[in-house]
Amino acid sequence: MRKPLVKATQEGMKSMSIIKHGLAAFAAGTLGVALALPAAAAPVKFDFWFGLSGDLARVVDTLCKNFNASQSDYEVVCTSQGNYDATLQNTIAAFRAGKQPTVVQVYDVGTATMMLSGAYYPADKLMEENGYKIDYSDYFPGIARYYATSKGEMLSFPFNSSTALMYWNKDAFAKIGKTEAPKTWEEVGADLQAMKDAGYECPMAINISANESWQLMEQFSAIHNQPIATKSNGYDGLDARLAVNKTKFVQYVGDLKKWYDAGLIKIKSKDLGQDMVQAFASGTCQVILTSVGDHGTVGKTHKEGMNWDVAELPVYAGTERKNSLVGGASLWVLSGKPAEEYKGAAAFLNFIHDPKTALFWSTNTGYIPVAKSGFDYMKSNGFYDKAPYKGRETAIASLTASEPTEITRGIRLGNFTQIRAEFGTQMQAIFANKVSVQDGLDTLVKNGDAILDRFQQTYPNKTLP
Amino acid sequence: MEKRVTFSRWTVGILFAVPQMLLIFTFFYWPAGQAVYWSLTLQQPWGGGNIWVGLDNFRSILASADYWNSITASLAFAAISTGLAMVIALVLAALTDRQLAGSRFYRVVLIWPYGIAAPALALAFRFILAPEAGFMAVVNRAWPGFWDPGLDGADAMASIIAAFSWKYVGYNFIFFLAAFQAIPRSLIEASAMDGAGVVRRFRDIQFPLITPTIFFLLVINITESFQDSFGIVDIMTSGGPANATNLMVYKIYSDGFKGLDYSGAAAQSIILMMLIVVLTIFQFRFIERRVHYR
Amino acid sequence: MVERTPILNFVTHLVLFIGFMLAVAPFVIVAIAASHNLKEVNDVPMPLLPGGDFWANIKTAWITAGLGPKLLNSFIFAAGVAAGKVIISALTAFSIVYFRYPGRTLIFWLIFITLMLPLEVRIVPTYAVAANVLSPYQAILDVTGLSWLIEKISGVQVSLSLGLLNSYTGLILPLIATATGTFLYRQFFLTVPDELTEAARMDGAGALRFFIDILLPLSRTNMAALGTIMFLWAWNQYLWPLLVTTDPAHATAVTELKQLIPNVGGIPEWNIAMAGTLIVMLPPLVVVVAMQRWFVRGLIATEK
Repeated sequence: MRKPLVKATQEGMKSMSIIKHGLAAFAAGTLGVALALPAAAAPVKFDFWFGLSGDLARVVDTLCKNFNASQSDYEVVCTSQGNYDATLQNTIAAFRAGKQPTVVQVYDVGTATMMLSGAYYPADKLMEENGYKIDYSDYFPGIARYYATSKGEMLSFPFNSSTALMYWNKDAFAKIGKTEAPKTWEEVGADLQAMKDAGYECPMAINISANESWQLMEQFSAIHNQPIATKSNGYDGLDARLAVNKTKFVQYVGDLKKWYDAGLIKIKSKDLGQDMVQAFASGTCQVILTSVGDHGTVGKTHKEGMNWDVAELPVYAGTERKNSLVGGASLWVLSGKPAEEYKGAAAFLNFIHDPKTALFWSTNTGYIPVAKSGFDYMKSNGFYDKAPYKGRETAIASLTASEPTEITRGIRLGNFTQIRAEFGTQMQAIFANKVSVQDGLDTLVKNGDAILDRFQQTYPNKTLP
Repeated sequence: MEKRVTFSRWTVGILFAVPQMLLIFTFFYWPAGQAVYWSLTLQQPWGGGNIWVGLDNFRSILASADYWNSITASLAFAAISTGLAMVIALVLAALTDRQLAGSRFYRVVLIWPYGIAAPALALAFRFILAPEAGFMAVVNRAWPGFWDPGLDGADAMASIIAAFSWKYVGYNFIFFLAAFQAIPRSLIEASAMDGAGVVRRFRDIQFPLITPTIFFLLVINITESFQDSFGIVDIMTSGGPANATNLMVYKIYSDGFKGLDYSGAAAQSIILMMLIVVLTIFQFRFIERRVHYR
Repeated sequence: MVERTPILNFVTHLVLFIGFMLAVAPFVIVAIAASHNLKEVNDVPMPLLPGGDFWANIKTAWITAGLGPKLLNSFIFAAGVAAGKVIISALTAFSIVYFRYPGRTLIFWLIFITLMLPLEVRIVPTYAVAANVLSPYQAILDVTGLSWLIEKISGVQVSLSLGLLNSYTGLILPLIATATGTFLYRQFFLTVPDELTEAARMDGAGALRFFIDILLPLSRTNMAALGTIMFLWAWNQYLWPLLVTTDPAHATAVTELKQLIPNVGGIPEWNIAMAGTLIVMLPPLVVVVAMQRWFVRGLIATEK
């Protein structure tokens, strides 16, 4: 039993080095080794850390293999860190110790933290230096603006992207005499009541954890052109503070609560035994609001013979619809790596940007293409006409419903993950009748502002690029 | 607790402690020292710089109602789950130690819960405790609304206590069993000759002799209920509903790990550490007196 | 044991059987989940009769997570942690219990406090240490001015570096640096009768001799218990191995297993994930069974 321990210690000892600069011979030896390296024609290896798991991790692995096979100069080593939080945390730990990967996938809400980190190598600069011409206007503006600086520079490249849609059960709506998905929330209220009267136990399913901040609060606010925070949702400064207790969002939460109390909405989550997507796919619940990324899952697991479709999220009557927000993650290149790895990283980003990669990516996952060229390429290939993928173009329509406004560009708030957690906490308190809707949202704003305040104090004298 | 008879060459004695001292200095005290420093500053996560803020981090934490709620929840969790896990394990170990037919088999199976991987634990308990789909659905059919861990904090707390106790029964079982087995058979046989029944033998001989292990497990269980609970909370409730299961370590983890608030998390760690130290000193001073070492 | 106790025996069997059911139920559910196809495993409620895809799922999990070499890594890692703890803790506890020297209580508490702050909480600074395990010592030399002194005197610039990332050492050592084992041994050593020590000293045995020939054999069951628990604990570690092993060649089975867990928005392949879980849970079971033979009743009488 003891053997491996001893052996391992010896291995560790080998890498021990006490460098004595006074000794010229020793220095020459080190130099010799450094010079000998490029002679071997092995491809330059660089690390890419990502935060996806399950079948999505397998698709990323295939993507990496494809990149490595497409050329012989570079080899990307792709490592899943399990989820987005762990990826960011591990990258930070590695960065602090000087062992960071070259490319890392960071989720949408980590963008503000990344921009202030001083730990990245601007992606647009990287591409330019390495001779790649990227047409940034090719990105869907709703996606590009989310990740770009307020001046429009792309510090990272959008990678896996999605937006929220309404999934509706056509059979259930047919029972109440409808063939179209409801377009307004008023209509939704009436339809849910009609379905309840027609005997459906669960007309609509929602969940109210931190994760659902995305579709319930963020997407709702964007398409209604309502601010989530002041200062253009944080784009204009770290002194932005939450605003959701004074917008149309209050009415929305009130309506959801009312429908929940009337039995029109049921809460479905993993810890209750069945999550929203399962509840919809099994035909238990007739309407859900979730990511286009779940399109594939519903397609693969839905009840035999069930007719369903997706539609854009509803708006309140009389609202001029704006673009919805992108969700997902972007690829950042980190600072402090050797030039040849940057060359590899640039080649990798260029590979990801290729329309053919977009087709591969969207075919194997539920994510949408991020650029018009990719979307057009997929359309011309008949992707959106084929059965399992039909309907996913609705996501593009939702993302491009309007030119992004100051408010619908995205959210640039520090430690937004914690604000989302606070959202979950307050929603749970509201739905458990512990607090009123207004009180709960006031507390959300109060606690969220404390988080933002702390973030601002941590970065004194710094501004967002 | 002191030994009467010891060895006199204490330089040799210190040498025995050196390997562990080196390890804990390098991998515990040095990093923990950094955490203490962080707690007194506002630390930029990427290491870009920090600001000295003195005790501000502690002040803002102790002023937060959520934090006090988290302390209360942690204490309740620690008390109930430690009690459950220890009593159940003690009974099972004592009965297994009777070495009736099949005891070899029980020995393996009852340790096994401690070896379960976290995702399996989550899936299994979700299946058992889910109000709409699992075994609890049967209960809910009889009394609608009885079990709702999604919105009822007490139910969610019961879920994580059940999962944690289940896992730690395996942990406690093996140490109890080891303790029972260290009791010489001759002692028990002699007592049986004197006409002491099974229950009396347990009370008069076995129980006193395993008090050192009971004390060990009490301290470890309370400590682990603060620390090892993190994984269970993460996969089962994520601290919800409405913070009802936001235990101290989970809060440290989510503030620091997910929220990248290293300084706030460091300050919370130090408070947690002091709390456990106080609890432990209390146990050493008041409970260890009842432990029979000889 | 000695007398006939039919009623108590019945109760014993009954309670142990209930304990058995409770202990095994979750594993059965996992195994059933691993036997379903994608649709069945996501049905609510999941069917409790096993499905027919067990071996297919096991195969998929085995191949996609590349579990073969990872299980070996996990084994070396967990065995290393268990062995390290069993040995190092015994040494320290011996020092604390059997010697009188200044600062002994302090050492006990210094070790004990390591129980109070889990690795998860101090993972970022610990990682920095693992990246260069000599950095604390370098810092001490720098702060105390010693490195300046050395440079002045000998012209040698001191720069200590010893990286432990992507090595078994880096995986194992930080996890050994806690107090559970020391505490357990202390509890046991305190129960060992002084007469034994006196007799050993009378025979002229030194501390080391007494430790190896008398104390360790007596601690056998406790060592087996500690070794088993530490093996299981290390086997299921996730965060630390994930961080330290960026090179896939050093990854452990549990870190690979997490990648089988369905992503939010991914396909909910819980059947594959549970099949993987089942594979990963088997080697610890083998270890538990193997450790059984160490659980023998104490042979040396401890009469007062």
